[in-house]
Amino acid sequence: MSNWLAETIHQAEKIDDWLSPKRAQSLSLLKSTAWPTRQTEAWKYTPINVIERAVFKSANDPQIQAEQNSCSKIPNLQAIDLIFVDGIFDRSASTQLLPEGLTISSLSEGADLSWALSSFNQTKPKHHFFGLINDTLATQGCIIDVAEDQCIDQPIRIAQSFSLDSQSHTRILVRLGKRAKVTVIEQLQGDQLSFNTSFAEYQIADHAYLEHYRLAMQCEQAISVGGCHFHLGTSSQLNSNLIGFGSQLSRVDMDIIHTGEHSNAKANVIYLLDGKEVFDLHSAIEHTVANGVSEQNIRCIVADRANAIFNGRIHIHRNAQKILAAMNNRNLLLSDNAQINTKPELEIYADDVRCAHSATIAEIDDEAMFYLQSRGVNRGDAQVLLSFGFINELVDQMNNAAIAQWLRPILRQRFANMEIR
Amino acid sequence: MLKINNLHVNVANNDIIKGLTLSIKPGEVHAIMGPNGAGKSTLGYALTGRDGYQVTQGSATLNGTDLLDLEVEDRAAAGLFLAFQYPVEIPGVSNMEFLKVSVDSQRKARGLETLSSSDFLKRAKAACKQVNLPLAFLKRGVNEGFSGGEKKRNEIMQMILLEPVLSILDESDSGLDIDALKIVAEGINSQRDGQRSFIVITHYQRLLDYIKPDFVHVLADGKIIKSGGPELALELEAQGYAWLESYDRNAQEASA
Amino acid sequence: MTDQLDEALAREYEAGFVSDIESRTFAPGLDESVVRRISAMKDEPQWMLDWRLKAFALWQKMPEPDWAHIKYEKIDFQSIAYYSAPKSMDERPKSLDEVDPELLRTYEKLGIPLIEQQQLAGIAVDVVFDSVSVVTTFREKLKEQGVIFCPISDAIKEHPELVKKYLGTVVSQKDNFFAALNCAVFTDGSFVYIPKGKRCPMELSTYFRINELNTGQFERTLIIADEGSHVSYLEGCTAPQRDENQLHAAVVELICLDDAEIKYSTVQNWYPGDENGKGGIYNFVTKRGICHTNAKISWTQVETGSAVTWKYPSCILKGDNSIGEFYSVALTRGAQQADTGTKMIHLGKNTRSTIISKGISAGKSNNTYRGLVHMGKGASGARNFTQCDSLLIGDKCGAHTFPYVESRNPTAIVEHEATTSKVSDDQMFLCRQRGLDPEKAVSMIVNGFCKEVFKELPMEFAVEAGKLLEISLEGSVG
Repeated sequence: MSNWLAETIHQAEKIDDWLSPKRAQSLSLLKSTAWPTRQTEAWKYTPINVIERAVFKSANDPQIQAEQNSCSKIPNLQAIDLIFVDGIFDRSASTQLLPEGLTISSLSEGADLSWALSSFNQTKPKHHFFGLINDTLATQGCIIDVAEDQCIDQPIRIAQSFSLDSQSHTRILVRLGKRAKVTVIEQLQGDQLSFNTSFAEYQIADHAYLEHYRLAMQCEQAISVGGCHFHLGTSSQLNSNLIGFGSQLSRVDMDIIHTGEHSNAKANVIYLLDGKEVFDLHSAIEHTVANGVSEQNIRCIVADRANAIFNGRIHIHRNAQKILAAMNNRNLLLSDNAQINTKPELEIYADDVRCAHSATIAEIDDEAMFYLQSRGVNRGDAQVLLSFGFINELVDQMNNAAIAQWLRPILRQRFANMEIR
Repeated sequence: MLKINNLHVNVANNDIIKGLTLSIKPGEVHAIMGPNGAGKSTLGYALTGRDGYQVTQGSATLNGTDLLDLEVEDRAAAGLFLAFQYPVEIPGVSNMEFLKVSVDSQRKARGLETLSSSDFLKRAKAACKQVNLPLAFLKRGVNEGFSGGEKKRNEIMQMILLEPVLSILDESDSGLDIDALKIVAEGINSQRDGQRSFIVITHYQRLLDYIKPDFVHVLADGKIIKSGGPELALELEAQGYAWLESYDRNAQEASA
Repeated sequence: MTDQLDEALAREYEAGFVSDIESRTFAPGLDESVVRRISAMKDEPQWMLDWRLKAFALWQKMPEPDWAHIKYEKIDFQSIAYYSAPKSMDERPKSLDEVDPELLRTYEKLGIPLIEQQQLAGIAVDVVFDSVSVVTTFREKLKEQGVIFCPISDAIKEHPELVKKYLGTVVSQKDNFFAALNCAVFTDGSFVYIPKGKRCPMELSTYFRINELNTGQFERTLIIADEGSHVSYLEGCTAPQRDENQLHAAVVELICLDDAEIKYSTVQNWYPGDENGKGGIYNFVTKRGICHTNAKISWTQVETGSAVTWKYPSCILKGDNSIGEFYSVALTRGAQQADTGTKMIHLGKNTRSTIISKGISAGKSNNTYRGLVHMGKGASGARNFTQCDSLLIGDKCGAHTFPYVESRNPTAIVEHEATTSKVSDDQMFLCRQRGLDPEKAVSMIVNGFCKEVFKELPMEFAVEAGKLLEISLEGSVG
């Protein structure tokens, strides 16, 4: 066992709080789990050795300067803000006044919430290595409860930023009651060397609607491993958007579990990677019951020496008939030294379903390039325009106009700075 | 203005244009007609510089500038415009953004000031109205989900905004109903100012009822085999392209 | 519908008979002495024995792979006999007249007449029975043209320079667990050499038959197409119906030199086991070819047999402008499991590959496509197109797709598409309304589904494959 893991287990054993019964299960699993290597299928292309190499301090460490949260503000969002600095909840910087039907607690004060205890770790896959670490170490985070029939107009923004050398583990638990409606934004930013795990679990009850954004925008030296996991009830709806900027290591696992019929999930994902950045998305769509719909669009642009990894699984369980599932993964590789590793998987045990996936890796379409050039646009400008269009198509589909508006110039700038060939 | 001399074009190891000579003066409209596979579209692509359309012999100059030496965008900046037969869809890039970048690039290349956003918007809206497209089309992705007719009108709108000196209209009439055809023709006619020139590529005489050409050329097997005034188009309409084959054969026998 | 389907699927395996042939068979068990004995039986030169021993030492240190989407009882490698040959083969027959008539009858029953006069003109056959090659037809006639077509055991003795130069160069000894085992204990198989610029005048084919109980078959095939040559090679395989699982671990290596072309077709119909998964062949096969400049390898496979199939015929596209193709139909029913696909490794410039995979799952079976498309740094202008379609018949089966796509070159283009569908009610209704019975309708629809692959097979095989599919699907609808 690595020193890093031994130290982690040692830390975890000292934690005693309301989640301890849950943590104990994960701790015993963690003890029997080997550190993943390149031979471990789920980490085949992911350079996780960077975690072992670095030394981090927890936010309680006096050497860590707990600065202010450095996440960008999103103009016109008018959100309910939940602010975290190095994994610690900053109550004073967060929104205090909540609309009716919405209850938010800090994870450290969740002891009275029996639903939270019982739903902890119910959606996240049990064997995810860093999920286990988060189970045992996450003492900070938040618990969000949207009451039945409540439509919360204000989006909830959970903003986490990370400072140099910090290590943090946060857990977010969200429950949408029947017919409830809410928008949740997970915003993660910071470019300095730091390590965080942030896992969010969402329970979406019957007929409820979740609009979800994960803005995984840590870059450069940051190391981030996390996930968002959704549990969909009957006729519920999920509309998720993931923005992935790579960093030294960024890994997100997304699980969408359809447990009620007629549930509908859509996930759009944009990767924009430069330098030596790595972004790794593992997604799994589990159709455990009949009559579900899922759609995923993953668009990826990779430049310089970056590495884009995507593993997307659609799993149709036995007797989950009449499923419509589609996954479309498109990649642009812009540089000789960049790489794309993609694996769209289908695992199907029911016959009356329509499932399709496609994956393409290509240069910019010749025809579109010629069209632009024939209008007088030079090759470089045309490349920017077309590549940006390639991802902008997904930004256009975002329901929250404030986020889309805020993102467009950021994405455009990031793309314009990319090292092409 | 445009001088094409003994042009030969090779596509995927096939000679498509085999010695085409054509001269166009300012303000003229030349119609190029001919059967499918004659090389009509190839001429447009070769002049605008599409990859894979290799000029193996001959020359083409626009106002004295050697076109064949230029990049695609530089030919456009020199004033060459191609209205595509099948305009490509570019989702995610809005028509407006696309037009603005195109106009800016060309103005810059021609040494003109770029238009202010409001100026540009005014012009774009006017052009949009002129070709009878709803203004919402400016916000949509380039050609994304447009009908065949809408795409053709979008091409004409671009032509109006870009103000080229020579426009090549590649079957801008195909797939249009009579109303759309009139809109396209009017758009083109509105640009005829005695200075700008046009090559109208078409399979049918129909479009020429609305755009009066000064000259009509018949292209077959990569060469202009017959040139004449507007009456040639009518002759073709009446007799079809079949007679060309015998014409072509006779010509070949004569040259042999 | 499903019950009727299962019942109907319990059809006869037509190749399931046992031939009563007296054999010389090693006692089950595997250690170094067995490797030495196999080599001695084959009267092999020392270098071959050394090569085998090296592989055996490697194999002993390797773990059995478990990544495939298959479940089977772990194989007891000590309970398998590694060599079995008909006694009548002690002295290799010099002509067909000397071949044991029972052996000839076996192949007649399987529809493969060995008497040259009765054969389809233009097809030369190497017949491998358990661990030995029984006969190779048209061998002399091909030799006149410079084409070598013989059992690999003969090639080791007669053409050691070719075997030494190429054996193990495409599939290394330590490539994988089953390949390493094959290197140590392979018994026979076919060897083909096509000289420079020669178009092989006939189709070459090998017919594999496992007969003896508790015997594994470890065949080895090596095909070398010298510069500018062309060859089309087919293989077929069957085994008796037995309650015990039997192991077939083959290695096939193709060497396709500059401007050469190899077309390799397989119709695999090993005994699939019974409806409950009892018995049947474990088919763990490594097939790979290397393409030099402008060369082309085309794999076509129709997989209907075996209890478990684990095979990925692959192409290393090393030379510029080389082409790799993979066309596959895999049909599983009963309790069959197939994990099959291909790897296309693009290394050279402007290399092209096409993958068309059609999986049909029925009964309680599981059918998996697993593939890798790799675009290396040097693969400028390379292209791949992959299409994987799955058809499910009934609601107890599974269809899976695991494609790995890796790109390291910005000018390479990869396109992958996969779909899953069932025989739709509308299609069935149309066919039946036009007067087809349900079985005919399904068979027709499935044949249509597989058409892109069947058209790649040599004519005689295409007919056979179509028939095989029809039998396999018999009663698949209620």
